[in-house]
Amino acid sequence: MGARRRARDEAIGLLAIAPAGLLILSLVLYPVAYSVWLSLLDKHSFFPQERFVGLDNYRYLWVDEEFWSSLWLGSVYSVWTIGLQVVLGVAAALVLNEAFRGRALVRGIVLFPYMIPTIVAVILWKWLLNDTYGVVNHVLLALGIVREPIVWMGADHIMLSLILVSVWQFFPFVLLAILARLQTIPEELYEAAKVDGATALRRFLHVTLPQIRGILLVVVLLRSIWMFTKFDTVWLMGEGAGAGRFIRTLPVYAYMRTFTYYQAGLGAALAVIMFAMLLASTIVYFRLFRDEADVG
Amino acid sequence: MNRWRLRRRAAGAAIYLGAGLLVLQAAFPFAWMASTSLKPPGEVFAQPPSFVPAAPTLDNFHRLFTGTTFLVYFWNSVLVSGLAVLLTTAVGAAGAYSLTRYRYPGREKIAVLVLCTYMFAPIMVVIPFFILVKRVGLENTHLALVLAFTSFCLPFTLWLMRAFFQTIPIELEEAALVDGAGRVRAVLHVVLPLALPGIIATSIFTFILAWNDYVFTRILISSDRLKTLPVGVQDLFHAALIDWGLIMAAGTMITIPALVFFVAVQRYLIRGWGAGAVKG
Repeated sequence: MGARRRARDEAIGLLAIAPAGLLILSLVLYPVAYSVWLSLLDKHSFFPQERFVGLDNYRYLWVDEEFWSSLWLGSVYSVWTIGLQVVLGVAAALVLNEAFRGRALVRGIVLFPYMIPTIVAVILWKWLLNDTYGVVNHVLLALGIVREPIVWMGADHIMLSLILVSVWQFFPFVLLAILARLQTIPEELYEAAKVDGATALRRFLHVTLPQIRGILLVVVLLRSIWMFTKFDTVWLMGEGAGAGRFIRTLPVYAYMRTFTYYQAGLGAALAVIMFAMLLASTIVYFRLFRDEADVG
Repeated sequence: MNRWRLRRRAAGAAIYLGAGLLVLQAAFPFAWMASTSLKPPGEVFAQPPSFVPAAPTLDNFHRLFTGTTFLVYFWNSVLVSGLAVLLTTAVGAAGAYSLTRYRYPGREKIAVLVLCTYMFAPIMVVIPFFILVKRVGLENTHLALVLAFTSFCLPFTLWLMRAFFQTIPIELEEAALVDGAGRVRAVLHVVLPLALPGIIATSIFTFILAWNDYVFTRILISSDRLKTLPVGVQDLFHAALIDWGLIMAAGTMITIPALVFFVAVQRYLIRGWGAGAVKG
């Protein structure tokens, strides 16, 4: 290739990455940077007026009861949903890793709830969990498990309902990731353990678990990030329910500050706080597990 | 020997039981939704509820199509998701090709970038995004949505497509280049056909994200005729006294195309997952 042609070829290379770079820079990185700046302003969400207030938004949040309660509710929600998703996802993956007739079909069916829009999952479960006409209460009453219908969307149970719906919707992700890894574990490892007379539990603990540990660490990290910042499921579950404030997690609170109270600065400050917490946890997480996490 | 066989039987039964429970928890809610959507108003609230509608009717669907703007939302969803897929695929494929075939600083940072965008969950970006979009006058347009979805899917698309492009031997294009084909032609005729599974996989992920999005559409779109399905159906849900038959018909109408699509692409979806979304 001649020098001119090579120069032209280099130009093509840069030209090819330019649109992607430009889009990511202007529509992802710039908004994030702008968010930090916004958090230092007192700004109305719709009108142009704005005033620099330094760290006032953060000071306000520091003594804001609603902030601390949303942080607590968000933590409860994250810890429970992540724990249940991992346990269910791994258990289901172990089942689907066995050879049986119709396995591909079962895998497809189990995966499906992860693929549907959140709004469908939410309206569907609001109907199933309806206190008067819902089929869940009907079954529980018929089986004598409860005496009174449970008010699933009431203050006492709305968090439980939210966790149920979220786990239902998202554990297939864990299942699929773990299943992909399980299928690469050499059969000989199990044969050897069987010859040694290891029970199923011991085979899981000593053969399977060490093999899926790496991917499990990545899955927990991803799911933690996603559950901690989960907005649509939480918001749609709480909206219209009188008890919505009992599931007002941090992302919902940030949304409300911006789009219900029109305090864009406070909303942005909440977003920045969330991001800082995620970043710090991710760094710590990688320090702890860097060598083990199975990152691409 | 007998005991061993018995044990194997029990293990087999346990697996079928587990698989049965998995299918039940995933499928029953949808079956119940479909059943409710076929019930006339009186039967929806009947006690005790029955799984098979006594007098099945398409009345709920009829009302959904004629009495609401459901079909407009549906078309908007198709349009916006389709455009987002086209744009993301074109920009992503070009970028990923460049990342694997050219050298410049920062091209190894793509994995970090993907992880970072995972941390910038939509809810964190949507506030500044909204203000930005308003400033350039794009609020309440489908273009704003397409751009939002594209920018959100791009890092992931770049990452996944790069993995696919890396498996295509460079010698193949070099042969085409030596034969006198220009770079662009070599890519179009040699590289892209080989990268097709990767392109399909990323298209599917983009499509699902765009099709399912709630938060960007809620914030960026205000006029009813521009809304996509998730936001439109939520408004339907809040319109008045909840009409469960109608709502379940809407849910069913969103789910059926999703199901068809899912069955058609499942193969690629799982392959893409293995290739880079989650390694292993």
